[in-house]
Amino acid sequence: MAAGIRQKDSVAPRPGRAGGAVAWRGAGLRRERFHGYLFIAPAFLLLAAIILYPLIHAFQTSLHRTRGLRIDFIGLGNYEKILAEPAFWDSLAISFAFTGIAVALHVALGLALALLLNEVRFLKTAIRIAFLTPWMVAPAIGAIIWMWLLEPQFGVVNYVLRSAGLISEYKIWLGEPALAFGSIVAVDVWRGVPFIMLLMLAGLQGIPREQYEAAEIDGATRPQRFRYVTLPNLRYLLIVASTLDFINTIRHFDIIKVMTQGGPARATEVLPVLLYNRAFLANRFGEAAAIGVALLVIVLALTIVYILLTRPGRASES
Amino acid sequence: MAQQAPCIVSVDVTTAAYNGYLMPLDAYWNAEPESFRAAWSESILSAARWDGELWGVPSWGGVYAEVYNRDLVEAAGLDPENPPATWAEYMTWAEALSGDDQWATAILGGRTDTTTRVLLSWIYSNGGEPFNADMTESRFAADPRSLEAIKTYLGLEAKGLAAPGATTINYLEQTNLFAQNRIATMRNAYWSVAKVLGDNPALEGKLFVADPPMNVEEKATVATMTADSISSSCAHPDEAWAFIKFNNERKWAVQRATVANWMPLRNDVSDDPEIASNPMLRKFVEIGGYAKTYPLPHPHWADISTNDIVDAVQEALLEPERVEEIFQALDAKLNEKLNDV
Repeated sequence: MAAGIRQKDSVAPRPGRAGGAVAWRGAGLRRERFHGYLFIAPAFLLLAAIILYPLIHAFQTSLHRTRGLRIDFIGLGNYEKILAEPAFWDSLAISFAFTGIAVALHVALGLALALLLNEVRFLKTAIRIAFLTPWMVAPAIGAIIWMWLLEPQFGVVNYVLRSAGLISEYKIWLGEPALAFGSIVAVDVWRGVPFIMLLMLAGLQGIPREQYEAAEIDGATRPQRFRYVTLPNLRYLLIVASTLDFINTIRHFDIIKVMTQGGPARATEVLPVLLYNRAFLANRFGEAAAIGVALLVIVLALTIVYILLTRPGRASES
Repeated sequence: MAQQAPCIVSVDVTTAAYNGYLMPLDAYWNAEPESFRAAWSESILSAARWDGELWGVPSWGGVYAEVYNRDLVEAAGLDPENPPATWAEYMTWAEALSGDDQWATAILGGRTDTTTRVLLSWIYSNGGEPFNADMTESRFAADPRSLEAIKTYLGLEAKGLAAPGATTINYLEQTNLFAQNRIATMRNAYWSVAKVLGDNPALEGKLFVADPPMNVEEKATVATMTADSISSSCAHPDEAWAFIKFNNERKWAVQRATVANWMPLRNDVSDDPEIASNPMLRKFVEIGGYAKTYPLPHPHWADISTNDIVDAVQEALLEPERVEEIFQALDAKLNEKLNDV
């Protein structure tokens, strides 16, 4: 009886329809579609207001020479200027180096920690929360804490390392180019690893136990089980996590702005920091907007890669 | 409220005026009686003028002098009553004041314009002029006296006389080092004294201030100038001007100096009993008499002072053997920027 009702409902003619499959191509469908657009209109308008309009405005600004309220249209002049500047290319190189190293470490350490946590049998929740703490701290606050830890004269890091005999004199962690770059990478890794760890842990827990048992019966060692069972099962997740992390990290601003402001001597001036310095220290908003558009193009390219990698067909194959 | 700035603002006058953010004040200023206008010297007012117009009323500032820790000076066997007046004497003191985990001073090399202020005070103390009179030419390397001052000042770290890590040292780090007795002297303004005593109350009564050591006869240092201005979008400029006049009355200038450690820029307050009875404040006021005003009058000064000069200082600190080359490159860069108006 119930099946009969469902069948009756599913084929019952609706107002405006002649009935059957042919009716879905008629005026009724167009009206349905119109209603669909109406339903998504509020969300679209909201997104347009908070994303599309600022993007258009930023692009418009990038076509102007701005000196406060004195604004002159210069076409692509700002793009020509920033692309001719070594500062832009240096900054781009620093951005890719910072992002590449940080993402590689996020993924490697995140996976390693997830493997360890997956084996934990006691106090699982408490340990997971403890590992997640850096991710829960606001990045700017974490950066300030690390600034004081790394402070040359009074910082705990120098004190501990010198007490342990690992360094003979205090290091200027944020004052020398290589050390400053290493320090911001380290702090970003401290902040970024927990999220990747969480994703990997979820992935690990989704791997059927039977696969490990079968591998063990076949005599696979632990490294072999990792190589031939764990990694293939996590492959898709690793691609998604690292691509999203790359997109997220290349836009990083807060930690670097707080800790080094792009210094010393621009050694840590990633693109978002260059953009900020150009806009708010140099008052050149047109050039800053052009840098922002360039950064947007890079992020869009990465997003396209991400979409291609996560297409439904590819995902199910993986 | 879109694009509506507050009526009264305190900003980098020349840059803001050039950008169209400020309202010229000449009409209001000229309408005031001579007794009001006479409270500011032409020298101070010139720092608030640009393009022939007045854009702000100088309200308060900071005179960059040399502040010493009396205990450390005496512990080094030096006489606090006779602080160094010349660079040569200062170097002798610096040697005596440097030891294990203690240095004579700190070089400022962090990314703020305080780095530029202190660098300029050293350049001025050597008779250097890093810019020509109409601010169209940069002469950090081209002017021998400027270059000599830069090399001397930035060279203090390599000699072990300044705290290491200068590229990370700003006002905050400098005053922390001073408050913790890690450096014995600091080139700073009167407000730094309040910061140091807040950090370490045990230093109360143990600080003294002196003229910055000079390498030429004519004394000079830096005094920052903060002005009260009216924004160009202000709908009530008459009321704003009335408040600026109130805010710059003599009694408030004295209060700002004695309570907030902000130096008065009026020329009629030095004999005020509250100022005259405070030896340290009196000394700062005296040094302010020969100080050159800061910021320098150019529309791009905010960019130049916070980005370009700081970059050059950081590079020079990291590669001391290339100081001249780095500042030559700075001159070339700034010559282009100074003329891009």
